[in-house]
This record gives sequence, structure tokens and C-alpha cells, in this order.
Amino acid sequence: MAVYQRTYQRYDGRMLSLDTRLLALARFTFEDMRKSRILGPVFYVGLIWPMVSLLIVYLHHNLDALRMMDVGVNQLLAIDKRFFYVFLSFQSTISFFVAALAGPGLISPDLANGALSSLLARPVRRTDYVLGRLLPLAAMLSLITWVPGLVIFLLQTSLVGWDWFTANWRIAFGLFAGGMLWVAVLSLMAIALSAWVKWKPVAGALMFAVFFIAAALGEILNALLETRWGHLVNMRTLMATAWAWLIEGKATGGSGFGLFYVFENQEIPVSAAFAMLALFCLLCIRLLAIRIRGVEVVR
Amino acid sequence: MSDRHPPAAGHPNHDNPSTAAALESGSRPPVPESPAPAVPSTQSPVSPNTKAIVFNNVSRFYGDVLGVNGVNIVVEPGITSLVGPNGSGKTTLMNMMSGLIFPSQGSVSVLGVSPRDPERLFPLLGYCTQFDSFPRGVTGFQFVHTTLLFHGLSGKEAEERAWEAIERVKLSDAANRRVAAYSKGMRQRIKLAQAVAHRPRVLILDEPLNGLDPMARAETIALFRALAAEGLFVIVSSHILHEVDLISDRVVLINQGYIVAEGDIRGVRSEVKDQPMQILVQCDRPRALAQELFPTETIVEARLLPDEIGVLFKTTDADRFYNAFQQIVLATGIQIDVVRPVDDDADSVYQYLIGQPGAVS
Amino acid sequence: MPAIIELDQLQVTLGKRVILKGLQASLTGKSIGLLGPNGAGKSTLINTLLGYYQPSGGTARVFGMDIRNQARDLRALIGFMPENDSFIARMSGVRFVRLMAELSGLPPAEALERAHEVFYYVGLGEQRYRPIGTYSLGMRQMTKLAQAIVHGPRLVILDEPTNGLDPMARKRMIQLVREIHAQEGVHLIISSHLLRDVEECCDQVLILKDGAVAAFCDLERERIANRNVFELELKNDAGAFVTALALQGCDAAWSGNGRVRMVLPDGHERREIFQLAATHNVQIRSMHRRRDSLEDLFLKAME
Repeated sequence: MAVYQRTYQRYDGRMLSLDTRLLALARFTFEDMRKSRILGPVFYVGLIWPMVSLLIVYLHHNLDALRMMDVGVNQLLAIDKRFFYVFLSFQSTISFFVAALAGPGLISPDLANGALSSLLARPVRRTDYVLGRLLPLAAMLSLITWVPGLVIFLLQTSLVGWDWFTANWRIAFGLFAGGMLWVAVLSLMAIALSAWVKWKPVAGALMFAVFFIAAALGEILNALLETRWGHLVNMRTLMATAWAWLIEGKATGGSGFGLFYVFENQEIPVSAAFAMLALFCLLCIRLLAIRIRGVEVVR
Repeated sequence: MSDRHPPAAGHPNHDNPSTAAALESGSRPPVPESPAPAVPSTQSPVSPNTKAIVFNNVSRFYGDVLGVNGVNIVVEPGITSLVGPNGSGKTTLMNMMSGLIFPSQGSVSVLGVSPRDPERLFPLLGYCTQFDSFPRGVTGFQFVHTTLLFHGLSGKEAEERAWEAIERVKLSDAANRRVAAYSKGMRQRIKLAQAVAHRPRVLILDEPLNGLDPMARAETIALFRALAAEGLFVIVSSHILHEVDLISDRVVLINQGYIVAEGDIRGVRSEVKDQPMQILVQCDRPRALAQELFPTETIVEARLLPDEIGVLFKTTDADRFYNAFQQIVLATGIQIDVVRPVDDDADSVYQYLIGQPGAVS
Repeated sequence: MPAIIELDQLQVTLGKRVILKGLQASLTGKSIGLLGPNGAGKSTLINTLLGYYQPSGGTARVFGMDIRNQARDLRALIGFMPENDSFIARMSGVRFVRLMAELSGLPPAEALERAHEVFYYVGLGEQRYRPIGTYSLGMRQMTKLAQAIVHGPRLVILDEPTNGLDPMARKRMIQLVREIHAQEGVHLIISSHLLRDVEECCDQVLILKDGAVAAFCDLERERIANRNVFELELKNDAGAFVTALALQGCDAAWSGNGRVRMVLPDGHERREIFQLAATHNVQIRSMHRRRDSLEDLFLKAME
């Protein structure tokens, strides 16, 4: 008979490249995110309007279906930049909700019981750690912003032809670049809040608060000082300016549409808008850098 | 869970003047008393209550969960150590002694004062908790000073006594810094200062040496000894058994809510009758030694150690064993390297009575 | 013997205070104890070796790798058991250790296998499937040890491993540490306030004070040097006996806890001690080599 002794044995087996470690963390983060019962449904709600948009695009080029539904072509939304602005209005809003739901739980559990001392003792850089926690959220947000946007654009192109594409390529560019920018802003904000605020509902509420209170403050400033520079703290105007410039090439009054309409006499310089957005992202990164440490510093 | 039971017929009612007077004089209170029959304490009934802490058939439950059950002990002045696994009831006992919770059954009396009489009890007590919890933003000095103010000392006296206590724990230079910035050891010491500042007669300390470096440990142990010499009751809970050996006059072993043993460690050991004492001898001729000892009828078992470095004897009568041993050494000239009892300490007693190594609980 | 850790004028400044003041040492032992009073810089040193703090001067090398620019690769070889709580409350024990293993580079399947192996080894049974937030202190300590060794590091750093553990759990922890020590190719650094633990588990000891090296000792050599120091426990009135012993050249004196400390000169017959005891009607209840040599060393280093 053979008796097997189980004492401590060092692990001596295969090791994976250290550069891919953040993907392992991303995988775990995603699995944790999936456990939330609200996130899934909200995410699927975020896919509703893209589905509807795809349907509208399809209907524009399928007269049989239209006749069946007894709808005239003119009654459908025209597929132009306004169409995509409407799309962006819906999707930015819903993605904001997703970020507010999923963001707060990304880092606060790690900080609550000092897990960072063990996590950062691994061969991961601090940026790897943050990216690992961030990417699943960014991926999710992308899947309801620029990814479906581009899919819709491609569908339209395939149904209409190359001419339409050459006339409207900038829309695709705007969707992609602006979408990435929006995803970056949202995810960084959510994760920075997660690092500083312990309770998830509070962090979620704070996301809303930051947006709306800042916007309100901006408006007050504008009214008091009779200026437009208050818009620099208003996320809506900043994104409107950014999107208008990316999609249309200009951000003057009348550009944009829907939620992201640029009002006459209320424009701000494009460079200022991008600068503020960049500054905001940098601020979030700085806040993260302070909190994500292997050792807590108490003075 | 509510700790305020209405004075039912069965609990000593301190509003009743005759009961109070009886408690004062130290004799047993009159009939409307604890529902359990007066179980004699392990000490003789002649010993007055004002000189000891008495647990009289005490049980404490938290809903269905057992805290302690059927505790009957008398704690004397000096250093008494409470030893037992986590969750065994040590903190429950300490909380009952300090009046923070009340027994579900039975009665506790601290120097004749019932813990239901907080005004008289709290000046007698100093409590040093296991976990850190300080008001936000206080400095070390403020912490001790405010506690003294709570005890009713005047501002100036409180200041003096606070500094006195802080000096005793050697934190004078750090006293004006915020407690949040203290290291673990410093926080431990400031808690100790707070516990002794009002010169209590009973000191209850939950793992006081936790986090202290070796020098601070030695200093704190010296402080305990000094306090015990002044006549204080120093009740310490600890997991470090060789320190328990070193400092305690008496030990109380508790496991899963039941008192398993109490008394002087040597005394406890000799009472564990079903386990003969084990004495290890390392020498150059273990077999010969064993051979010589067997006829003396002082040992019940002799086990050769691996590689014949020595032999482990079991005996039921240590005194006779040592005498026989000494004579044999002198007679045969066997070179003795080591002779020592291997289970005469807290560690071995713990193992016999409580321990099951290997399982993590 | 190649040095495991080399400290080369290591200086670490936090805020405005210089915590480590130019540490210089070459640690070669298989198991190194790190001792020192609170505030001496032990945690700072450990955190610096892990790359949590950057040196403000000098450097340190672990396994020949410089912590200044190879910190990340180094961490692949190091396992760390923090002193304070370190866990993610919602995660089960297995999942947490799995995450740690994968972050250290193990492939997913091996990581899961290894996580279970390590839990078996530290003695956590089916509790491993429950969230760590529900664990007792002992279980959490074992989980911390598990995550420190799961990836088979060459250097395991344990910060107060027996903190808060009850006596049986302490025994188990020390036993585990010794088994790890016995493993080929594994080195240990143990920082602890409990000198007994360090004495049982370590070969060399580095004692820090005020950010500088106060002493660096080889315990084995100390044990050999102290092999003639004995401790006696006596019964009956032993005053005259002790004096007689001293007169015999045995340098006998009462030590703190009612025992007699004695230095036996080489070649001195043990039998004579017993003879003397019989003459003075004293029973020698215990005679063994002093176990507190580390305590003496520590106190001397603190002067």
C-alpha cells in the first residue's frame, strides 16, 4: 500500500508572462460584475435604442417591410447626423447609469480591508491594477456607446453605398473618438469615486451630484457674471462641444442636436472644451494615484 | 440585546436598603437573591466578598449563543491570567466583571460591589480593551485626561494624574500627538495609561501585550508586577503561554464557555491526575538510567527518545522521583545534560485540557 | 554563501522624516528574523523591499536584483503576509487565493489547483468556500499565509504571523513556518515581537533601532557559544547551594523568575553539581540550557 504525505511543496510549474497579468484581474473583475442583479438588465436596456436604430436603418432600405407596416418612408427618422446625435443622447445617458451602478464596487472592496497590501505585493504595477479593474467597465460602456454606433453606421453604408460613406465618414470618426472620450471620462470618474468613497450607493449618487451640481454652478456663474465660461464645468456643454467638433468639424451655435445641442451665443472654444475634459481625466487619475498604494500613509 | 433586566424576584435589588447594607458589610445578602441555590465558591465561605471577585454560578447567553455556562470562581489579588481559545468566553467574563453586561443567571460581585451598581463599581475598575477604538482626533493626553474627567476628578487633579499615568507607560513625549498617528504598541500603552490613571483596584486587561515590542513587553510586565504588589487585582487575558507562566500567580483556563481549570499552574498540573508527570532527561546513557530507575518504583513509564539522546519518564510522584534520580546520578556517574519536567507549564496544561492541534477554528 | 538580501546604504524618507538611515547588511541565512522596537523601521524596510516605498538613498538587492529598477520582477519571487487585515470580504477564500495566484503568473487551471492545495496545507477545510468576511481571526491569518505561499515564492516575508492567534493556532502556524523553512530553495523573513517564535524559526537575526542596524547575529553561533549556560530550578532552600556553586567557579546567580542561571566551565563534571545539591539538601527539579539567549542579545542591542 502506498501512503501519500502532504507537506508543503513549492510551486514549480509554468508561469505566464507578467505583462498579461492585468487581463487576469480584468477577468475576475468581470465575473464579479456579473454577480450584480441590476447591472445586467440595465445594460440590456442600453441595447434597446441601438436595436431600434438598426431597425430604422433597415426599414429605410426595405420597402416591402415598410408597406407591410403601412408606414411611409418620410415618417421614419432620416439617417443623418441628427439621427446619430439622437443615438448619442440616449446612449450617453444610459451609459452614465451603468457607470454609476458598476463603478463604485470596483475598488472600494479592495480598500475596505487592506487587500491592496497583498494585491500590490504581486508583480503588477499600480497602473496594471487600475486598468485591470477599469477595463471591464470600459468595455461594457463601449458596448453600449460607440460600438453599436459604428455597427449602425456600417449597416447604413452597406445598404446605401460608398457615396454616402464619403459624405458622412466624419460621423463614424466622431462616434468612435467621442465615444472613447466619453467612456474614458465616465470610467475614470466612476473608479476614482470608488477609490475614495466607501459606500456604493453614496458613490453612485455622487456621480450624479458631480454632474448636476457642477452644471448648476456653471449656469449660476454664467448668469451672475454674464459670461459663457461657466460652461467649462458643465459636462453636457463640454461633451456637446467635443462631439460637435468631432462629427461636424465645428462647434458653433446650431451644431449638435438633442441633448448635445450647442446653443447660439453659448459656445465655448473647442480647445478649451477638450482641455477641460483632459484635465478632468487627469484629476481622476491623480485621485487614484493617491489612494492606490501598498501602504496607507497616516500622518 | 437588553442588559437591563427588571429587578425580578431573584436578582439582588440594590435599591433595597437592607440588601445594600448587607453587601456593604460583606456578608451574604438576604433571601431574595439569585435564583440558583447558593453554590459554595471554591474558596471557603469564611472569606469575605470585599476582598475578592466572586462569580457565583454565572451563565451568560446571547440569545441562543453560549457565552459562559456555570462559572464558579473566586479571583484573588495579584496577577490572574485568563487563557483559552478565541470565542471561549474570556471577553464575556471580563465584560461581566466590569459591569458592561450582566449574567443571564447567577451573580457577580467585585470587591463586594455588584456590577449592577455602576456608580460604585466603575471607580474601582480599569478596563483595557482588546480592540482599538478612540474618539477621532484626540491626542494621547486628551484621551487619558478626558477619561479622568469622566471619573469626576477636578481639572487640575485630572491633569496631574493623567501625566502620572502617561509617564508610567513611558509615553510622555508622544502624549501630545494624535492617537491616530500612534503605532500599535503606542496605542496599546495609551489604553493602559487610561486604565490605570484613576488608580483602580481592579485592572482588567484584554490581551494587553499585543503588538508590543520585547522591551515594552518586559516593561509592561514589570508594571503589572508592581501593581500586583500594591494589592491590585490584575486580570490579564493572553495567548502567549510562556509569558503567562512567567507573570501569573494564578491561571483560569476556559474553553467553549466552561471553566476547565483554575489555580496555580503547578497546582493545576498536579491535579490533572489521569496524566502522570512527564520528565525529560538527556544524558549519555539513557538505557542505563532507566534500568536503574525502574526498581525504585518511582516511574510508571520510560520511553527512549530517538537516536538515544535521552529518555522520557512518567511518574506519579515527582518528589520521590527526583530523590531517586539524584541518588542514581551520584552513584552511577551518568552525565546529565538536561533534566526537566516537560509538562509543568501553561502550554502543556493547555494541551491536555483544551488543545487539539491541527484544526483551525 | 550568496547573500539573499543586501542592504547597501539604504535610506528611506517618508514625508520629512528619515526612517531608514543608511542600512548596511548582508543577509545570507535561510530564515532571517527581523526585530526591533516599535518605530525602528521594520515595516518600512519590508515595504521598501516590496517596492511600496522608493529609497531616497542607497539601494537594496534581493537575489541580486536591485529594488530600484527591478521591483516588479522581484515581486514575482516574493510572497508577503501582511500584519494587518488584508482580504476582500465578499470573495470566498478560494477565489481570493486564486486571484492572487493568477496575478503572480500562474495559469488559471494551475492557480485553482494550487489554491486548494495551499488551503489543505494550512488546514482550512470547507470554510474556504465561504466569504472571507465571515472568517475568524485565526482563519484570516491562515488565509494570509496561504496567499503568501501559493505561487511558490523563493522569499516569504511574514509580518507578525502569530498575531492574535490562540495557543493551538500559534503552534500550528509555527509548525507551518518551520515546514516552509525546511523546503529547498525557500527563504524566510520573519518580523515579530515574540522572541520565542523568532528563536524557534530563524537562523539569523537582524535587529533594528531608530532606523539603523543595532545588531546582526547568527543564532546558531550564539547557541554554540551559549551551550554552557544552564538554568536550574530548585526545590527547598537553595541560597547556600547557589553560593557554593558560585565558589566552584560556576558563575551562578538568581535570575528574574526564581531560577538560577549558571555557566558551566568546560570539563566541569555535572555530577559535582548533583553532589553539591545532595550536600545542601536541595532537589534539582530542572536543569536545561537557557532558551532566552535571544532576549539577552536583544536587550544588549538596545543599550
